Amino acid sequence: MAANFWTSSHYKQLFDQEEVDVVHPLDKEKGITLEDFKLIKMHMANYIGKLAQQVKVRQRVVATAVAYMRRVYTRKSMSEYDPRLVAPTCLYLASKAEESTVQARLLPFFIKKLYSDDKYRYEIKEILEMEMKILEALNYYLVVFHPYRSLPQFLQDAGINDITMIQLTWGLVNDTYRMDLILIHPPHLIALACIYIASAYREKDTTAWFEELRVDMNVVKNISMEILDFYESHRLITDEKVTAAFNKLKP
Amino acid sequence: MAAAGALAAPGQLNLTESPYWGSRSVDCFEKLEQIGEGTYGKDAFFYLVRVDFELGGFSQVYMAREIKTGEIVALKKIRMDNEREGFPITAIREIKILKKLHHENVIKLKEIVTSQGPEKDDQGKQDDNKYKGGIYMVFEYMDHDLTGLADRPGIRFSVPQIKCYMRQLLTGLHYCHINQVLHRDIKGSNLLIDNEGNLKLADFGLARSFSNEHQSNLTNRVITLWYRPPELLLGSTKYGPAVDMWSVGCIFAELLHGKPIFPGKDEPEQLNKIFELCGAPDESNWPGVSKIPWYNNFKPTRPMKRRLREVFRHFDRHALELLERMLALDPLQRISAKDALDAEYFWTDPPPCDPKSLPKYESSHEFQTKKKRQQQRQHEENAKRQKLQHPQPHSRLPPIQQSGPRPQMRTGPNQPMHSSQPPVGGPGHYGRPRGPAGGPGRYPQSGTSGGYNHPSHGGQGGGGYGSGPYPPQGRAPPYPSGGMPGGAPRGGAGSGYGVGGPNYPQGGPYGGSGAGRGSNMMGGNRNQQYGWQQ
Repeated sequence: MAANFWTSSHYKQLFDQEEVDVVHPLDKEKGITLEDFKLIKMHMANYIGKLAQQVKVRQRVVATAVAYMRRVYTRKSMSEYDPRLVAPTCLYLASKAEESTVQARLLPFFIKKLYSDDKYRYEIKEILEMEMKILEALNYYLVVFHPYRSLPQFLQDAGINDITMIQLTWGLVNDTYRMDLILIHPPHLIALACIYIASAYREKDTTAWFEELRVDMNVVKNISMEILDFYESHRLITDEKVTAAFNKLKP
Repeated sequence: MAAAGALAAPGQLNLTESPYWGSRSVDCFEKLEQIGEGTYGKDAFFYLVRVDFELGGFSQVYMAREIKTGEIVALKKIRMDNEREGFPITAIREIKILKKLHHENVIKLKEIVTSQGPEKDDQGKQDDNKYKGGIYMVFEYMDHDLTGLADRPGIRFSVPQIKCYMRQLLTGLHYCHINQVLHRDIKGSNLLIDNEGNLKLADFGLARSFSNEHQSNLTNRVITLWYRPPELLLGSTKYGPAVDMWSVGCIFAELLHGKPIFPGKDEPEQLNKIFELCGAPDESNWPGVSKIPWYNNFKPTRPMKRRLREVFRHFDRHALELLERMLALDPLQRISAKDALDAEYFWTDPPPCDPKSLPKYESSHEFQTKKKRQQQRQHEENAKRQKLQHPQPHSRLPPIQQSGPRPQMRTGPNQPMHSSQPPVGGPGHYGRPRGPAGGPGRYPQSGTSGGYNHPSHGGQGGGGYGSGPYPPQGRAPPYPSGGMPGGAPRGGAGSGYGVGGPNYPQGGPYGGSGAGRGSNMMGGNRNQQYGWQQ
């Protein structure tokens, strides 16, 4: 296996939820709450996804970029590392790390296309400088394992070949990047949680299959609950809330 | 689940510990000596501790001592020359790969440090961008590289020693391959050896991850020419671990033969040399070869038979058998690292020796030997000026008896200059011709070391280490790793982390003895050239 997850830096760097949910003191001073913090990160994950569509890179690049962005904010403040600069820079760095390179000069162009707001505008030079800071913040650990890798095997093994169900599962995995799950749980458990939800949703009985897996079903169920909670609360998120959170950072 | 203990809480980074995040400054290290150089051109390194000679190549790898621990390390500078695309993708590849490989036969990347260079910008203002100063990869320090070691006068590796190195090379490479990493620059100077006899693969600057499932197009302009397999020379862009195995075969043959077996000066000549020894490829011995892009351009006009067994008939039977399978033209028929480790060769008498039983050598790296040649030149010039050229008896070293096709011993004073001590060393014996006369060296030949403090076994080299106390214990994984050498002499320095300097000036009194070990036509700027399609 290529770079076994269990021996990887990714595994060694998994966080506890409580560690991830620490708002940096500098941000706290500005009135950023944990909710704001999560909201901004979610918004940035969306931003990375939108930008990736423009520059046309694979989903895996998006996933890696979001993981980088989330790792950065376990260590750095949003006050010092403006999310609106960190997000595109993470995409740029991830595009290199995932061998799907994007030219730096394209980024400012597409950023402008996506957001007319001046607060999003950054020049190439600034992106390249931020790239170095991000590399350092990540301690140059650039390998991220994703649930995507184990998903096809699991689906096949579970005998799930209904295309709509497969698509639903993939969609769920994509959505997990709006949360911090990738920092906290081993990726294969995230994949299993998505299959678990999809099975429940489509009323496909996979209980026997799950029982035969030698994994801690409590963890899988907990991840599933987190995902469902997220969907629940997601409906209450409005653009105004996001803007308000950003305004606390940089009024 | 989370390795929380290892993580400093945000804002509470404990600087006295190895940093878990955020990189330290290079100021934690004290630079001792330049120990290698890159292929790179123009900028002199401003805090070079000592520049003894103006060299053609430029410094890239330094030997340094960590101030706090006193540990000797090698620092490799990451070049940031393509300012348009930020941190070079080649460095990203190398770091990603090194961070995922943990094996006793693969060089260990200890950390990455940044230096706050006092560099000024055009207006003479202090630049506040701390990364301008440089980013360095910090590696464990190794005393030798295989080329430097093999080229030393009076050193001949014993059979158990060759088996020992080969097995470590294959073990490390097998580990890379199962982790889906192609090294793509296997050659003697990238195989580092410490004084415990441990061999480690180094310089992953051209390495790349590959996928078994979907083969993507990779560049064929990798691997130093002399070690480059026929499929790459013929323009193949879909290839796998077999490319590294060809290089291993070349090294294996070189260890047994005493000199490089395919010293081509350019690609056509390289292919020709391969065909002369291994026969010309055709659809019968290499199905599909005619579909490789440049096959028709290079296809030999006359029939050429495989002469490997004939040319190397003096080799041990098992060695020859293994070599045959490593130097298979068809990559699909070429032996894998795993199967090579199972070859009879490693399991017949004499067995590979225990690395620890190997002799300890004074540090030897190709970079140093270059420096020594420079000194040699100066020394000669001085001698000329003083009209003092008289042969001097060799005091500490037995005269080198190079047999066979290694004419051109230096006629100059070829004895150690006793006043000069390591790490610089005195000019020793120079100029075994390697490769084409005056050809563009991908890196210059490893000359030989100075004669100081030479292992006592002198001319016979490793002859006596015999089958050390290392019984074959079934086909188990090899010996445990040795860790860093303890009180071993640590003069000199290591290269092999770096890439060789192209067009290293070899002129002057060295005449024909210049030349690189395999001119690599791609020359220096691989960072730039390989930003795409790797």
